Amino acid sequence: MIKTIIRKEFLATLRDGRLLTLGITLLVLFVGFFLTSMYELQQLRAEKHSVGTTAKEQWNTQSVKNPHSAAHYGIYVFKQDTPVAALDPGLRPYIGQSLWLEPHKRNLTRFNPAADQVLAGRFGQATTSFVLTALLPLLIVALTFNSVSQERESGTLRMLHSLGVDAGQLLFGKLLGLMTAFSVVLAPALLLAAVILLGNFAFTLDDALRLLVLMLVLNLYYGTFAALAISASAYFNTSRTTLFCLLGFWLASVFIAPRLGAVSAEILAPNPNASQFWREIKDDIDHGLEHDGDHEERAKAFEAQVLAQYGVSRKEDLPVGFVSLNRQHNDAYSVKVHALRFDALRDNFVRQQHLSHLGSWLGPSLALRSLSMTLAGMDLAHQRHFEDAAEQYRQYFINLTEDWDRERSRGTERKATGEETDWRSVADFSYQAPNIGFALRTAEVDLLVLLLWLGLSVGLLKISARRLAP
Amino acid sequence: MNSVSPVLAAQNLVVEYRQHRAVDNLNLQIPQGCVYALLGGNGAGKSTTISTFLTFNRPSSGQVLIEGESPHANAELVRAKLAYLPENVALYEVMSGLENLTYFCTLANIRLSSDQAHSLLLDSGLQADAHQKRVAAYSKGMRQKVGLAIASAKQAKAMLLDEPTSGLDPSAANDFAQRIRAAADRGMAVLMATHDLFNAKQVADRIGIMKNGRLVEEFDAHTVQHDELEQKYLAHARGLA
Ligand SMILES: Nc1ncnc2c1ncn2[C@@H]1O[C@H](COP(=O)(O)OP(=O)(O)O)[C@@H](O)[C@H]1O
Ligand SMILES: [Mg+2]
Repeated sequence: MIKTIIRKEFLATLRDGRLLTLGITLLVLFVGFFLTSMYELQQLRAEKHSVGTTAKEQWNTQSVKNPHSAAHYGIYVFKQDTPVAALDPGLRPYIGQSLWLEPHKRNLTRFNPAADQVLAGRFGQATTSFVLTALLPLLIVALTFNSVSQERESGTLRMLHSLGVDAGQLLFGKLLGLMTAFSVVLAPALLLAAVILLGNFAFTLDDALRLLVLMLVLNLYYGTFAALAISASAYFNTSRTTLFCLLGFWLASVFIAPRLGAVSAEILAPNPNASQFWREIKDDIDHGLEHDGDHEERAKAFEAQVLAQYGVSRKEDLPVGFVSLNRQHNDAYSVKVHALRFDALRDNFVRQQHLSHLGSWLGPSLALRSLSMTLAGMDLAHQRHFEDAAEQYRQYFINLTEDWDRERSRGTERKATGEETDWRSVADFSYQAPNIGFALRTAEVDLLVLLLWLGLSVGLLKISARRLAP
Repeated sequence: MNSVSPVLAAQNLVVEYRQHRAVDNLNLQIPQGCVYALLGGNGAGKSTTISTFLTFNRPSSGQVLIEGESPHANAELVRAKLAYLPENVALYEVMSGLENLTYFCTLANIRLSSDQAHSLLLDSGLQADAHQKRVAAYSKGMRQKVGLAIASAKQAKAMLLDEPTSGLDPSAANDFAQRIRAAADRGMAVLMATHDLFNAKQVADRIGIMKNGRLVEEFDAHTVQHDELEQKYLAHARGLA
């Protein structure tokens, strides 16, 4: 019986002019935005690649100089976006994706496009995912809000009841039929998007998996909206009341929940402001972490230890360059302090992200947005992964220059030099982005919230079916 | 259930909407092959009576029985034994008459071949060239015919008709009456609500006049004179009796 209902709902939805008109309008919009953001992504990737290569080449071709001076020349590294980011640029407009790597200091990402882009550009970036996460649910609401109330108003519900149709099968048949019709209309656009992506980017298996999972969760998300809309349509007496309530829910889920979430997170787990953040790092370095003693004490202790180690009484008599040795020691301490503070800051980001789900009581959109940007690799967790890799690389090449400096000088003199072959021997930064497993672990809470909403909507559909009166 | 039970029966049936009594202590018996016309003005309680057999309503007291069993105790009875033709046959506008018939029948677990479906529609009076057209383009009479085809396909024990001829032109109403008569002659019990006296006299075996939820008069349709029936009906309608 349910198959018959699904087929009928499927056909009726397709024949109903609304789906085609609204659906096609939205799809044209989607494809337009998609092409724009894909083009942008392509540009950005090319730009990052060329700037990254140029930066390293400039590093490679430095003249003969002191290795530490060379280190101060610094290297720019960039986070490459996954092709999936064409569907969801995530946090790209808000956080940078390049890092300036230099001695002594760990930097936050720069190159924040939102800062130097006109409004239109930002609009273009946001809209692909806006169509997917906000407008398509609205389309579902528009198609579904009267799916049961219309049958009640026209009297077909009584016909069905007199024929002994099971209300549960009717409602679930409607849900599946509608989702099938919806997918059929949506499929060409998604297929087109996939073909365009595959044609323009080198896809790894991981990228493909991410895209696939994103499609899957989007469908679950649409299913949640459809189930809620159908049960509201069955529950309320008139189509008008149903539409009113569903629009309210859509607004709350899409617009209010994320803001509510952000505000709750900011209140419950505030971030330090930038000047405070850097000041605390400087203070920790100057005064030392617990039991470490302040900068001067640490310097004295280190000097004594080095002198003892080499069996000499004066720095000048050391067989290696003390300036470099001392600098490396200080840098190591600075790295330790930075790591603590950076981790604390980013742990707070994670806490905030979890707290923002306080807004998820209003709807599944917040969880979906968060999940989608994680799958696109455009969230804070992927950012952190990149930043950590960049920090590893920074320590690697700074330490390399210090090795040259230390070994090519003695005592307190500063005569060490390096040349192009040295600079060239520094390996390129090759960043391996984490795989989909990482993304799914990161998005555990989002997935859970999304599944809870799906469960809730199916539960409500069951309840509505039980109370459905003709 | 036993074979002497009437197909449809109401026993001291009371149905209330909140405070309002729509059906008041109604007693009815409709055996096999009998067409019973419930005659009455607007608001007399005819539709409510029919709805109660279909379990759209619950009795406040008393009961309705289908072959001796209460559909409110056994919901399966409605599906198995009743066919229903509402006043305005509700169909899916974007589907054809044929598709509507097939859909409703499949949901009622009746498998129809394409030939069977066409001949059901033809037997109900729907011209062949209309079968594949969308219902949105149908007249009220055409919808009524699809409704009748759905009801006939069920091969039910009893048929419940709510104002089946209202809005039909006289010749269509006449055709319709004959189809109902034929169904009854094949053994179906029919409960028909109508305010059309002529229609009632033409088809029915028994006629009950309903007013304010009560059955105020009952006649044998074959013996009662048209004039007498008319006078009684008008008197009740004017509140004189
Ligand atoms: N769903 C309802 N809610 C409240 N009152 C109703 C409802 N349906 C019918 N009634 C009332 O019950 C009475 C009988 O109505 P009905 O059975 O439709 O009469 P008829 O079919 O004979 O015109 C009327 O007074 C009507 O106003
Ligand atoms: Mg009525």
